[in-house]
Amino acid sequence: MNTPVRTARARTSRLRRISGTASVHAVLLGYTLIAVFPVFLVMMNSFKDRRGIFGEPLSLPHAGTFSLEGYATVLSEGSFATYFGNSLIVTVASLFLILFLGAAAAHALAEYRFRFNALLKIYMIVGIMVPIRLGTVAILKLMVDLNLVNTLLALILVYTAQGLPVAVFILTEFMRTLSRDIKDCARIDGLSEYRIFLEVVLPLIRPVLATVAVFSMIPIWNDLWFPLILASSDATKTVTLGVQQFIGQFTVNWGAVLAALSIAILPVLGLYALFSRQLIAGITSGAVKG
Amino acid sequence: MTQTATDSAAPAALRRRRKRAGRLHIVVFLAPAVLIYTIFSVYPLAESLRLSLYDGLEDGSAVWIGLGNYATLLFDPDWARQFWNAFSNNLVLFFVHMVVQNPLGLLLAALLSLAPRFGGAYRTLIFVPTLLSVVIVGFIWELILSPLWGVAETLLGAVGLAGLYQPWLGLESSALVTVSLISVWQYVGIPMMLIYAALIAIPDELIDAARVDGLSGFAIFWKVKLPLILPTLGIVAILTYIGNFTASFDLIYSIQGALGAPNFSTDVMGTLLFRTFFGQQLQLGDVHMGATVASMLFFIILVGVTIYLALVQRRLQRYEM
Amino acid sequence: MSDLTLRNVIKSYGSTKVIHGVDLQVRDGEFVVFVGPSGCGKSTLLRMIAGLESITGGEVAIGGEIVNDISPADRGIAMVFQSYALYPHKDVYGNMAFALRHAGVDKAEIDARVQRAADILGLRDLLHRRPKELSGGQRQRVAIGRAIVRDPKIFLFDEPLSNLDAALRVQMRVEILRLHQRLKTTMIYVTHDQVEAMTLADRIVVLHGGRIAQVGTPLELYHHPDSIFVAGFIGSPKMNFLEAALTGWSQEGAHVQVPSLGEIVVPVSRQGGSERETGARLGIRPEHVQLADPATAAMRGEVLVVERLGGETYLHLDVGAADPFVVKTDGAVSARSGEHVGLAFPPHALHLFSASGAAFPHRERHRTLAEPQGA
Ligand SMILES: Nc1ncnc2c1ncn2[C@@H]1O[C@H](COP(=O)(O)OP(=O)(O)OP(=O)(O)O)[C@@H](O)[C@H]1O
Ligand SMILES: [Mg+2]
Repeated sequence: MNTPVRTARARTSRLRRISGTASVHAVLLGYTLIAVFPVFLVMMNSFKDRRGIFGEPLSLPHAGTFSLEGYATVLSEGSFATYFGNSLIVTVASLFLILFLGAAAAHALAEYRFRFNALLKIYMIVGIMVPIRLGTVAILKLMVDLNLVNTLLALILVYTAQGLPVAVFILTEFMRTLSRDIKDCARIDGLSEYRIFLEVVLPLIRPVLATVAVFSMIPIWNDLWFPLILASSDATKTVTLGVQQFIGQFTVNWGAVLAALSIAILPVLGLYALFSRQLIAGITSGAVKG
Repeated sequence: MTQTATDSAAPAALRRRRKRAGRLHIVVFLAPAVLIYTIFSVYPLAESLRLSLYDGLEDGSAVWIGLGNYATLLFDPDWARQFWNAFSNNLVLFFVHMVVQNPLGLLLAALLSLAPRFGGAYRTLIFVPTLLSVVIVGFIWELILSPLWGVAETLLGAVGLAGLYQPWLGLESSALVTVSLISVWQYVGIPMMLIYAALIAIPDELIDAARVDGLSGFAIFWKVKLPLILPTLGIVAILTYIGNFTASFDLIYSIQGALGAPNFSTDVMGTLLFRTFFGQQLQLGDVHMGATVASMLFFIILVGVTIYLALVQRRLQRYEM
Repeated sequence: MSDLTLRNVIKSYGSTKVIHGVDLQVRDGEFVVFVGPSGCGKSTLLRMIAGLESITGGEVAIGGEIVNDISPADRGIAMVFQSYALYPHKDVYGNMAFALRHAGVDKAEIDARVQRAADILGLRDLLHRRPKELSGGQRQRVAIGRAIVRDPKIFLFDEPLSNLDAALRVQMRVEILRLHQRLKTTMIYVTHDQVEAMTLADRIVVLHGGRIAQVGTPLELYHHPDSIFVAGFIGSPKMNFLEAALTGWSQEGAHVQVPSLGEIVVPVSRQGGSERETGARLGIRPEHVQLADPATAAMRGEVLVVERLGGETYLHLDVGAADPFVVKTDGAVSARSGEHVGLAFPPHALHLFSASGAAFPHRERHRTLAEPQGA
């Protein structure tokens, strides 16, 4: 009887596989370092004194260089608590409107047959291709007329308008895949169309709502353009604008600059740590359909 | 049996009326979204297009001048210089993204789709810069590349290339490319994710079949996977194009200011629009010229989207998977 | 419990008409099955009865009341869907109680009804599970339970078993039958599986292209199909058809000339068939054909394929016609492909159809159908 042997052919192919795996990791690891190192560098140096920042920028803070001076300056000079509050209000309120109104519109478009249904869907979706910023000139005029300049409401309305097209697009696509039976069943159970939406459809689309939420959120939280133009007063500044202007004033105080940056980065990273799975799932599923 | 759930006490006529009240709910569901979108997105855009056809007078009223503002923008030496400079800078920006960001995104996605160990961790970390505000990214790189801090020089020194160091952001010759690369660093996560999603959506059976047919890993990528993800690459290209003309403002405004320093070498359509609309040191802001620049941007984007839809999308046939 | 009447019911989507005027009378407590090929309008008709589709023309009446404009919830119907349509965010109890809670039925009453339904369906131990923690059969039971608790006048089922595997389907079929015996409620059941139709129905409604092709008890449809379509649709394996020429009529019935068979007499009456008509088709069910000695048999064929199912065997024969001729025989038959076999048919098992597809009625009703039932 023949015992199987490991032939030379098998050995080289195994070697090739191992070296292939190694180079895959080398590339990925290399790029991962490039992606996170700058962020890490800024955060690390924000915990040093001036000497530490300039003397040994690449080493971790230690007893000789550790300092919270930068943070002290930021907290005493800037009103970051207000900025955070503003960013939070604007982001949460816009998200709520985008998701709730977007879901309602998507439900109507996906569920009912009526005249101009297809046309209306296209109308709602072209906004994906046409950036809302191009209307800035008229948006500012409109906000002046409505007396909304330097209010958070101005930002909320604009961001809602900006976020609706993508939300309507993704949600309609998803709602088309919902079983018709379950809505019919609710109808037989005697629910009104409103309650079908609230009690049957919304719970069913919760996972997609979450992903639409996480990735409508990023551009809102990070936007510089509209806060600068519509709400640059001290009381309505968002974090992004606040940091931008704070750094503009404190360019020579590197400790404060680094601390301000870190303060702006941290909450984003924290949220990302919590929701990265959902975010990535969202981008992934959206892309498969799109 | 007691009264059944469905035997409602309402007389038939009443029930009939309830049913007839009928289709109001469709309006209720649609109206809020359609109104907000129309008032704050569609109307302003239309209004901008309209404003671009007028000129402002001293007394605050406006007069219709047809395409006069466009003529000014394109042919008045002062305006034309700025416009073409910003436009060509945008093209450079777009070009850098197309040749660096998207191929890099494709490479990373292809490697990730092999499901290496820690793939999830790599993916999550590489996406981190994409989440950060452009403002923050801009400052981070300004600090790192700053000759004052010297971090970039030290790092280059570590690989024996200290001599190559230049204050890239400050030099007219290199500022635009440097800004572009910073933007690539920030946004490479998006093409990576989109392409990765498309790659993992390819059914395993298809890959297995190709393997059984004797294709090597590399050949499978070129001959099977790439054709299947072409529609996604098309989407990535058009997203890059749109983002390039509008989103580039934030980064350049935070690093180089509204003037596109040094000496307008990084001026793009976004900063030009901002300056035109709000004015700069000596020049007053001009609503009508601002609207004209915005409208030009709109047409430029429209041309891109049209080309994409007409040409690319029709050619890049989708395969049912 | 209630009867159901459809009067000239029509459905159009825009300019396409999918239901072309259906008339039907369903008696109180009757189990009626709609069958037909895919796309013939079974679901559409059922959904119009439920009130989920608007009615383009005609009337639907439940228990004597015209319900065209009454909302589904107020029609006194309950419906079981193919996809079960359970609310994924509610447990079994919550799913069954949902409609009652919504209708404001009091708690104790809800509980009693849910418990009773759970008993009937053997769901007692599963009341606090979510749908995703149930098997297909269990989900289907919950869907049925949800219908039961509403105590409807009419149950509507749209292909409720087609997502289940074959064994479970047989089991659930029996359960539904027992449920009907127990509740004695009117049930309308849609399926494209003719075995389900035959075993469940008091009466079957065969739909074809948005029209009723025939209504009758399962055995009526089996023995006396009105048309070649119904003949081909009911029964498995399908009825065999042979091209034939009508040569004349006599006291015994129609004289037909069939290639490969010669002249035979089929005991049917003329009724409506035109004088000059000559083209016709002869039908015979595979189970009514007997094997005979090839030397003396009326018809012979060459065996193409032998399908052995164990208890029975299907022979596919070449008899010189366009399609293979199928014979259902004993499991022990020794035929092999290539062999020649002889065939014989009892005359009363033959069916004759005119060129337009209408059946010439048999002179005598089948002996299992003692008293005639009209629809
Ligand atoms: N919304 C619609 N618009 C246009 N035509 C439709 C629509 N819904 C159904 N139809 C058509 O109506 C016909 C009947 O459909 P129906 O769903 O009732 O068929 P069915 O008999 O239930 O078939 P199946 O066995 O496949 O479920 C089909 O030809 C279908 O194409
Ligand atoms: Mg159907």
